[in-house]
Amino acid sequence: MDVHTDCLSADDSVGYAAAATDSRRTMRVGLFVTCLVDLMRPRVGFCALQLLEAAGAEVVVPHAQTCCGQPGYNSGDLTAARALARNLVGEFRDCDYVVVPSGSCAGMLRVHYPRLLGDDPEIAALAARTYELTDFLATVLPLSQPPGQFRGRITYHDSCSGLRELGVKTQPRTLLARLPGVELREMAEPETCCGFGGTFALKYGDISARLADDKCIQIEASGADAVVGGDLGCLLSIEGRLRRRGDMRTRVLHIAELLAGDGGDEPCK
Amino acid sequence: MQVTTLHFRRKAAENLANDQLQRALGRLKERFVGARAEALQDLPDFAQLREAAAAIRQHTLDHLDHYLERFEAEVIARGGTVHWAEDAQAVQRLVVEIARQHSAQRVVKSKSMVTEECAVNDALEAAGVEVMETDLGEYILQLAHEPPSHIVAPVVHKNKEDVADLFAQHHRRPRQTGIAELCREAREILRPHFLAADMGISGANFVIAETGSALIVTNEGNGRLATTLPRVHVAITGIEKVVPTLDDVSLLLRLLPRSATGQSITNYVSVLTGPKGAHDLDGPEHFHVILVDNGRSALLGTELEPMLRCIRCGACMNHCPVYQSIGGHAYGWVYPGPMGAVLTPSLVGLAEAIDLPNASTFCGACAVVCPVKIPLPDLMRTLRVRQLQQNLRPWRERLALRLWAWCAQRPRLYALLTALGARLLHLLGGRRGLIHRLPFAGGWTAGRDFPAPAGRTFRELYRARQPR
Amino acid sequence: MIAARASILARIRRTRAGAPLARTPMSAPLPDLGADLFARFSDRARALASDVIGPVTLDRALTDLATYLNDRHLPLTAVCWPQLATRNWRAAGLRVEARAARGDDLVGISGAFCGIAETGTLMLLSGPETPASVSLLPETHVALLPVKRIVARMEDAWALARREHARLPRAVNFISGPSRTADIEQTVTLGAHGPYRVLIVLTRED
Repeated sequence: MDVHTDCLSADDSVGYAAAATDSRRTMRVGLFVTCLVDLMRPRVGFCALQLLEAAGAEVVVPHAQTCCGQPGYNSGDLTAARALARNLVGEFRDCDYVVVPSGSCAGMLRVHYPRLLGDDPEIAALAARTYELTDFLATVLPLSQPPGQFRGRITYHDSCSGLRELGVKTQPRTLLARLPGVELREMAEPETCCGFGGTFALKYGDISARLADDKCIQIEASGADAVVGGDLGCLLSIEGRLRRRGDMRTRVLHIAELLAGDGGDEPCK
Repeated sequence: MQVTTLHFRRKAAENLANDQLQRALGRLKERFVGARAEALQDLPDFAQLREAAAAIRQHTLDHLDHYLERFEAEVIARGGTVHWAEDAQAVQRLVVEIARQHSAQRVVKSKSMVTEECAVNDALEAAGVEVMETDLGEYILQLAHEPPSHIVAPVVHKNKEDVADLFAQHHRRPRQTGIAELCREAREILRPHFLAADMGISGANFVIAETGSALIVTNEGNGRLATTLPRVHVAITGIEKVVPTLDDVSLLLRLLPRSATGQSITNYVSVLTGPKGAHDLDGPEHFHVILVDNGRSALLGTELEPMLRCIRCGACMNHCPVYQSIGGHAYGWVYPGPMGAVLTPSLVGLAEAIDLPNASTFCGACAVVCPVKIPLPDLMRTLRVRQLQQNLRPWRERLALRLWAWCAQRPRLYALLTALGARLLHLLGGRRGLIHRLPFAGGWTAGRDFPAPAGRTFRELYRARQPR
Repeated sequence: MIAARASILARIRRTRAGAPLARTPMSAPLPDLGADLFARFSDRARALASDVIGPVTLDRALTDLATYLNDRHLPLTAVCWPQLATRNWRAAGLRVEARAARGDDLVGISGAFCGIAETGTLMLLSGPETPASVSLLPETHVALLPVKRIVARMEDAWALARREHARLPRAVNFISGPSRTADIEQTVTLGAHGPYRVLIVLTRED
């Protein structure tokens, strides 16, 4: 398998510092898809790409990206986390912004990379220009009309890292409000942890499943047809528990899928 | 208190299946979380107040030796005695010695987590001294021979039927069923003990350096009774509980009750300074303070130092989704929930309390509510780092982490393995796209299905779409 | 134990940076109490389940107190602070002894050093004329509080105490209502080990 190590839409002559001040030049956004999206639901990555292009960005997808290092970091392996951080910084060096369809991975880059490698100015610079997807599309490069065609009632789960590390709360709701067919029904406690917690879901599976179950009860009580969120880890755990409870009806969608595609099984463009 | 932290998993599992406990935990969440939110409405700027409170606590830690010495000098100037205890055994020895010194046979106790930590009751009883807990929750626990499951609401895990049964069994009176009646009965049973006691033992929510005072917050009045009626009062507290001035403590008191129970102030705040004066009509003749280290000073100067800012409000555990599901007993020692996940391993040893810092999703709710801004998830992560460094993690876990990191640093290998993995998982998902059992992931699939992936990685698909 | 003290202090000092002790205490905005401290005090005290009457003259206060006890079928016999011994209890129909309280006293009448408007709290200082047990042991606690002794916040109360007393008494008790517990099923029950009811009689001079 031959894998390029450069960005596929490289334009190496323009440094990112100049780009930040020149608004006439198209913004160059590096998409960090995250390991979960890459493995488990590529559609989320394609939807994110489509949304960023619809907003007017030039999107590059550095090809050697792998994992932000959070699993190791939260398990106490700082050495591995630092190594992966340095790799990632190198991969996204030529981008004006780094956008991530995940609050926890974006939080890792923005909040925790500086803690891991505080002295490195490149790390600080990367952190400052990293954004979670909905935050980016609501505040940095606004997407006034998301192309999504979904019609129905949805409820939104606020993933913990996005919420508490990055302040992602109103941004997804702002974007959802721009979809005319979507009716948002807030669940009783959208901000309560779903219990995924990364490796926690494997190590303390019974507690994790209980917290997912509590979420499922709230989702069902909300009357929504679909639960939507910004972090695939949460969504996988919630979906897994919904199905085990016998609920085959409630759809589980990443917000990128909702905003971009028709939310159906059709891959977005 | 006995350390049973190694039974975390088993107890957590039991507690998840215990419907009565689950109902009790639901009550706790409903009352304390809602009450706190309402009580904060009163404060024009909670964020700023937290900053100020954290600053007071940190300033005190920065000068802990100075403030402890100042406190000691003031206590002595007011006719009290200060004792310093390095560890739990020292506390036990001191308490027994003080009881002997004053020929105390009957002790009444007001709630104190530090005395649980140091097993003071056991030591006194072994020395032939009768000890009565008087805080209603602690009294109930004493009858039931159980440890507390919450630092502020110690019998949150019991319902009134349990209490009614206990009282009927021990008080030899007809069984009451109403909560008010049960409280009345406890009052009547315990009142004679207050009046007959030789010595009162309390904790101290804070000790004040400026005046040499011990400050106790209670709602029941047992704290006042235990520290006013007997002829000896012993206040026992951790060295980190010192606060510089009365004004500092007034600020902290705006946050402690609100964070704990949602009260703007607890019913009683008692500031106790020295024994009774020559002409006082009531009060103890002797005032002792025991300052307890028991591993606290070892946290100073380390990444865990912020833990010593804790004012024991319990807000973290009230808001923790893990605590809300498994209750306090699963944590195996005096301090449950997020603050316990940091403090317990710090005081009893990381190897003993191996699960505690790991049983967290790092959702961050605890850090948001902590009135003194302790970064609890970060401290738990620090403990996880130490666990790994000290080889306390299972070899399978360490191997898996190593492998993951190794592969993730090699993009081509990573791409290959993930492509294979995507295909394999897709196959396992079958027609419905759900995996019911997954090797190495029993923790997941015991309680949830695992949604199968589409079968190709993003990387592959993206590459396939690029124009040649 | 001297060794323990030295050892603990040494361990603490080892990691302290020796920063200067001086600090500018950080301020934080505090609840706005409104212009009328008396109103704030009364509202908050009532919200915490104290009964509040007045402001009335002292003589009127004693008869109102007797009425309060009568209305609730409580005895007109009480113990009071020695500081209040010379009040005209008999005229109000009350039999009052000025001493510390005992376990079987049912009504305790105290004064108060001051009241704190922010939380509706009474501040009592113990002393030879003001024993702490009077506000603690009996089932009913009555506090006579002059309106002019209501201050805004706890910090103001401490400042007042510093001005009027050379040092703190043995016990400063802040009281914010009847004793209570929520230990059983997180249900608040009034009346635990301390008083079941608190009556605050606000007094004014003529």
